[in-house]
Amino acid sequence: MWSYIVRRLVQLVPTFFGATLLAFIIIQLAPGDFVTRLELDPTQTRESIASLRQEFALDQPWTVQYAKWVSGVLQGKLGLSLSYKADVWKVIWPRILNSMVLVVLSTLLIYLIAIPVGVYSAIRQYSVGDRILTVLAFIGVAIPNFFFALIMLFIAVWLNDTTGLKILPIGGMTSEFVGGVPYLEAPWWQRTLNVLWHALPVVLVLATTGTAGLIRVMRGQMLEVLNQDYIRTARAKGVAERVAIYKHALRNAVIPIVAGIGFLLPALIAGAGLIEVVMAWPGITPMLLDAISATDLYLVMGFITVTTILLMLGNLLSDLLLAWVDPRIRYN
Amino acid sequence: MKKLFVLGMLALAGLALAQPKVFKGTEVGKQGGTLRIATISDPRTFNPFVARETSSTDVIAGPSCGNIFPILTNYNPYTLQPEGCLATSWEVRNNGLTVIFKLRQGAKWSDGQAIDADDVVFSASVHADQKVNSNNRSSFVLDGQPIKWSKVDQYTVRADFPKPYAPALIQGWPIAPEHIFGPAYRQGPEKLQALYNLDTPPAQIVSGGAFLIDSYAKGERIVLKRNPSYWGSDEKGNSVAYLDRYTFNIVSNTEAQLARFLGGDTDLYAAPDGDKVAQVLERIRSNRLSGQIFPNADVTTGTNFITFNWNNKDSFKANLFRQVKFRRAMAYLMDKKSMIDVAQGGLGRPQWSPISIPVRQFFTDDVAKYEFSPQKAAQLLAELGFRTKNKDGFLVNAQGQVLEFNLATNQGNTLRERIAQIFADEAKKIGVKVNYRPIDFNELVRQLTTPAADGTREFDAILIGLTGSIDPAFGRNTWQLNGSLHMWNLGMNGQNPTRVEPFEVLIDKLMTQGATTLDPAKRREIYNQFQKVVAENLPVIYTVAPAYNPARLNRIGGLFDKDQVSAIVGQYPYIETVFTKD
Repeated sequence: MWSYIVRRLVQLVPTFFGATLLAFIIIQLAPGDFVTRLELDPTQTRESIASLRQEFALDQPWTVQYAKWVSGVLQGKLGLSLSYKADVWKVIWPRILNSMVLVVLSTLLIYLIAIPVGVYSAIRQYSVGDRILTVLAFIGVAIPNFFFALIMLFIAVWLNDTTGLKILPIGGMTSEFVGGVPYLEAPWWQRTLNVLWHALPVVLVLATTGTAGLIRVMRGQMLEVLNQDYIRTARAKGVAERVAIYKHALRNAVIPIVAGIGFLLPALIAGAGLIEVVMAWPGITPMLLDAISATDLYLVMGFITVTTILLMLGNLLSDLLLAWVDPRIRYN
Repeated sequence: MKKLFVLGMLALAGLALAQPKVFKGTEVGKQGGTLRIATISDPRTFNPFVARETSSTDVIAGPSCGNIFPILTNYNPYTLQPEGCLATSWEVRNNGLTVIFKLRQGAKWSDGQAIDADDVVFSASVHADQKVNSNNRSSFVLDGQPIKWSKVDQYTVRADFPKPYAPALIQGWPIAPEHIFGPAYRQGPEKLQALYNLDTPPAQIVSGGAFLIDSYAKGERIVLKRNPSYWGSDEKGNSVAYLDRYTFNIVSNTEAQLARFLGGDTDLYAAPDGDKVAQVLERIRSNRLSGQIFPNADVTTGTNFITFNWNNKDSFKANLFRQVKFRRAMAYLMDKKSMIDVAQGGLGRPQWSPISIPVRQFFTDDVAKYEFSPQKAAQLLAELGFRTKNKDGFLVNAQGQVLEFNLATNQGNTLRERIAQIFADEAKKIGVKVNYRPIDFNELVRQLTTPAADGTREFDAILIGLTGSIDPAFGRNTWQLNGSLHMWNLGMNGQNPTRVEPFEVLIDKLMTQGATTLDPAKRREIYNQFQKVVAENLPVIYTVAPAYNPARLNRIGGLFDKDQVSAIVGQYPYIETVFTKD
């Protein structure tokens, strides 16, 4: 196994260079650079535009820029954000942490709901319950996340309106005042509760789509396993139905889902997507969109680097997990 | 008795030393409370020499005398004439080549050090340093020559201009504490740029403005708090700012910004379109929001116009675009009423003149107007030889050349996309083939500003906008022949274009005169003539100006009423005199 891990880790190196080079080229293919939008500012002279390009090394060929950037990465430095004039890691890390709150909570919720519901749907196939759950799951998969988030905002405003209370937050991650004092001065448990309260509608939105998809997968897996010969054999032997389902069937049906856990690693960092923008959650997505529209080259590259590394490690982890839960798989 | 005497002496000493600036608000307010606004994105820095985006400058500079870093002078919000901030008075000498500014004595940084000439002269030299690349560098260069700042004594500074400069009295660049930035600067520009970044603890950021930075939660909010040692007071001598806290909530989505205001979570708001205006109105009318909105109170300074490329690779098109008759025909095709009704929900105003409508001290409405008239357009095109239509219904001239051009605007700007569509539709109706296509913003800018080696550029026509400035002299880059934004007829490498029309020379001359004439009445006359020449010759064809629709909650006081709000000054004369009523 160890030689397998080492081999995989060595393979990461060319993959990493290939992926970042490709990203760098794609960013360079897009017209314009960080300084372009300043050119339309009537108060900026040609000379100051040129001087800015020089400062950011944007006047050099992209190959030189890439080489400089890579040598920085090899020394553990992700580079300097053009607009923040600060280390990229310092800029993105607090945002990644904020996103993780959503990702962790919604992932937990998804697994907690989807697995039991999927199993129920499978063992009561075509029952009324299964049909209702199936319809709900299809609706959940069909509604785009960002649209559901807008509806959630609308619900929050309406609910607060009709009750005259602050039942749901209207976007954001923390309140300015908690229990009458500024947020930062409140005790830690009040701050935690405040964040959880703000996370509630966002996590609900996120979990809906995720749950709906996973229910379908779990149901399909379970049905497939339940139709296998060994389940029939187990039943024929007189094993209790409960044992047949939970000991024999579920364990096998859940294998692909366990193997998928490795993919959660990059997902943790990648944030919750446009939901964060709609719900004003201070995650990584709004910042990344800003960086892309401002062509803040190194901020975008830094983020891509981190996700690429985690994606590759997550892949490796998934493969190892799969080998661990499924004895049929060998290291080769 | 003795105690009283000492107190009295202290009070007198205070009066003798300090020269507080009196901020004349719309009413005398009371101390305390929080003002909450929404902003579209995070600040990038708290360093005044690095700040570039409005998301940063709104926090550290702000529209008044400076939230954190003070400025010398600004426009008086009522008269739009120069007014002192850190400067108490000034004297123009040497036929306008020299201005002496007297500084406010007793003004202090929040760490107790005096704000004096050293800070001003140091900040000027850093802003002017090409290696620092400050966004304010243009305030220190006049037509390629430097404006020199020097210290006369502790509370007097002197600015020497290479030529007379009309906006010389407006010195709105942020002044930073020399005792903090100086040592770093002497170690190199990078050290200076690294100061006051977003990870600097707020308590360490020294302020000379109305507020201190209280806290910053990334992606969420920046909270400013009252600076107790600020050098301002109200008319009654009470110290300002009135507000205890001034919160910028970062809400990057315009729908979510609306939701915040509708929910009563932010105090001030400017509705960007008719739909959002309607939602605010509905909520106020149904008594679910205690506030006010003034739809169409003003128009923004931003402009939207079409410009044609006189340096077109295709010489037929280049020559056509040079014809004033052609451009007037295109102007006649601008259905500005539809642009307002359909594209802007009935809000906004048609624009004819190159100076933004809210710039009241220079704007004139007395210019040539080519009101929507497809017949007149068709007639002018016939005079240019486009008399017959081909089998597809498009106009052709005697040589069989079709009247056709591409029109681009930046993708994602729905207002511009709609305006371009309306124009293209009207043009097609009389047989002008307009191929409308939205493209990426950066690509648009590249086509507009980057000539090929032979001086030609790629595009035919572009619909784009510029932010209007409060003084036309700041827009010289667009109008002077060698300007980098002389976008209809662009020269190479900072030179004049190779072939210029007489009216362009006249505009160039008027812009130079306008920037160097000090007498306000004469300046006004010059800019009146400038507006007439542009409106008549149409180097750019203006469309419609978007509406400014300010809204506020009733809990906020010290705001302008409906007649006074303006897109330039905003909803209040000074942030210092805004207060909360609850």
